[in-house]
Amino acid sequence: MSSTASILLVGLGGAGCSMVARLASSLPPQVRAVLLDADLNALQNSAVAETLQLGRSLTRGMGTGGESALGLAAIESEEPALRRLFTGVPIVVLVTGLGGGLGSGAAPALATIATEAGSTVLAFATIPFSHEGERRKRLASDALEKLSAKAHGLVVVQNDLLSLQVSADASLAEAFAAADDWVAGALRALASIFEAGALVPVDPAALRSILAHPGSPTLFTSGKAQGPQAALLAARAATESALAHGPDVISKVASLFVSVTGGSALSASDAFEAVNIIRAKFGGETTTIVGARIKPELGDGVEVAVIGASAPAPKAPKTRKTAKAGDPNQALFGFATEESLRRGIFGSAPFTFVDGVDIDVPTYIRRSIRLSPPK
Amino acid sequence: MTPKPLPSLITVIDIGTQKTVALVGQVIDGKARMLGFSERRTDGVVKGTVTDLDKLHAGVHEVINDLERVSQRPVHYVYLSIAGPAVDGERVKGFIPVPAHDGKVTKQDLDEAIRSAKRVEPPAGRLIMLYMRQPTLLDGKQVANPVGLQGRRLEVNFWRTTMEEGNVRFRVSMMNAMSVNVSEFILASHASGCAVVSESEKQGGVLVIDVGAGTTDWILYFKGHILCAGSIPVGGEHLTNDLSVALRISRETAEDLKIRFASALHRESDLNQTIWKDGDKGVGDQQFNRGTITQVSSLRYQEIMDFVRKDVLRHFEQIFPGHSVKLDQAFLPSGVVLTGGTSNLHDAAEGAHLVFGVSSRVGVPQFESEALRKPEYSGVIGMMVAAIQDAPPVVRRPKSFWDNLKNLFRF
Repeated sequence: MSSTASILLVGLGGAGCSMVARLASSLPPQVRAVLLDADLNALQNSAVAETLQLGRSLTRGMGTGGESALGLAAIESEEPALRRLFTGVPIVVLVTGLGGGLGSGAAPALATIATEAGSTVLAFATIPFSHEGERRKRLASDALEKLSAKAHGLVVVQNDLLSLQVSADASLAEAFAAADDWVAGALRALASIFEAGALVPVDPAALRSILAHPGSPTLFTSGKAQGPQAALLAARAATESALAHGPDVISKVASLFVSVTGGSALSASDAFEAVNIIRAKFGGETTTIVGARIKPELGDGVEVAVIGASAPAPKAPKTRKTAKAGDPNQALFGFATEESLRRGIFGSAPFTFVDGVDIDVPTYIRRSIRLSPPK
Repeated sequence: MTPKPLPSLITVIDIGTQKTVALVGQVIDGKARMLGFSERRTDGVVKGTVTDLDKLHAGVHEVINDLERVSQRPVHYVYLSIAGPAVDGERVKGFIPVPAHDGKVTKQDLDEAIRSAKRVEPPAGRLIMLYMRQPTLLDGKQVANPVGLQGRRLEVNFWRTTMEEGNVRFRVSMMNAMSVNVSEFILASHASGCAVVSESEKQGGVLVIDVGAGTTDWILYFKGHILCAGSIPVGGEHLTNDLSVALRISRETAEDLKIRFASALHRESDLNQTIWKDGDKGVGDQQFNRGTITQVSSLRYQEIMDFVRKDVLRHFEQIFPGHSVKLDQAFLPSGVVLTGGTSNLHDAAEGAHLVFGVSSRVGVPQFESEALRKPEYSGVIGMMVAAIQDAPPVVRRPKSFWDNLKNLFRF
């Protein structure tokens, strides 16, 4: 356990652990990885040295089998050990796949423990594919609500959106791998910010200052490009990434943290040009913190990663309800849901099912066809 | 000088998802001369289903006012189109053993067979809208008119259209509220068929697909008769919606881009084309890749065609149980004829050919007025044709004093 580590990367549950394990080999020394799972087999087979088995007495080394109550109990049984783990760590990055037992049951509780231990918690949570079934989807959305109240920053990764980025004939395994890869790539970009030798160095405390409040809406996106003008293209790719356009992703934030990593050809003016593109898209009026660093192995490639957050909206003062709940004159307002956004102008129209699918949803989304990029 | 007695007037109103179109024609020698035309935006209809009665009522009222103003004649009777998911069609048959000793069919026998066909009860909660004649069989052989022929078993067939009772009632009461009577309902897809395909094409076998804004109605003619018909609640608005979701643009912009750039086919070369929303490259102008637009639109369009193909095959299973009848060029010598507003899409015929594998064309109605020779008007023009053909207006008895008095107090 090195004391220099300022970021603790925590993989929770099966999906979280597999993503963190992928990353483990390429982490800078400031980032320490730890895996938390109930499944002893999975832990023993992983490359990460530091692991913690949860709920030993409850599951006897097996997984939680998708039971969120079991996941919660598993966390509570290991609370003292977890407290020790988080003590003195300024930033905890929690990676988990919601929809399973540990992800849904334990993630909010884990975030609470870490927050109470004084850490800033940035959570990455993947939402299951729609084809994984209604139950997992519901579990995930319940957990998401709880987690967003506890974590300082929450980045939601819609697996459905990610699947649009892979080609139409990709297998299921490839779709899952793409989801994992995306999060892993994002985390690598995040981790590399804090590596030594930066052109514009950034202190992990800067990240803390942006994610100052629990429950703040969080934006995370990243982009990569190669060749001349790579910095501009990477910034544009980041602004156009599927993750920046998810249904519940905010589009404008008060504080931005932009990291630009490039090969030796990266010039300061290119880096700042990229930052300007990001700012034009996402705001960052209050604070914009810029980190830039050179990685010679990137050649003429550039990677841009963006984290943004706004302070949570002040809670509206409680007012007495003037209209009765059942007042027929009161106009009906509904919040835009993921479903209604996919249905577009048919959001409120009656559903039409043909062969069990809602045909108002655009064909290319239903068939998960990736729209061809311009040549 | 007293005005000459008016020859019969026919007023047809086609209420679509996006617009309501109406025509007034004067029938002279079996041909209609156009007296008035009106086209208004329809509000309150989504995917062929009425969602806001008041808005729809207001819109139709405007159309009637337009017609009366333009044609200088009061509108008393109208033909209304019916389409959309509320309409359903089925084949009913009635048969009798020929009772006569010599086996000759009499007029009474035919009437009895027709009565037995019409005795078939409609499904609960549905009203029978219209019957259309289908082949009459004498001992299994198709005959044009069986009266006087010899045989043992006489069978008559009808294509019967039924509609949900509530849907019919509100349509009738909506028109009655404007002091207008509904003389008959006309199946919209049949109307389109009358406008864009010839009798000889119907004899051979042809599938007419009317791709409207909110619904796609199809009808299949075989040996000169309607074999089956159906409706799917998908249409041009879905193309618009897909584009607005995919490109993250407003519905209006999406509609505009759809008309200008969308296509039923996606070509590799489209990816090299960059298009501008307004074209002036001014403030607020946006650029898009044409490939993205054609990809989204072709996927949806070809899916609509595939829905129709599957729907037709589903009907085939009911009509020819146990036989696998293919939807090929041999069955449909005249292929697929597309019509309706969405068939204006670029390469619409080629896109349908890709799905059905039979010859396809876009059908444009033949009409005296140049401005109406467009696929989107095939419905209303076909209604006029069908109104003259299928239900020749009865010769009205001379107006009595009482009728004139009543008309005097009509607004």
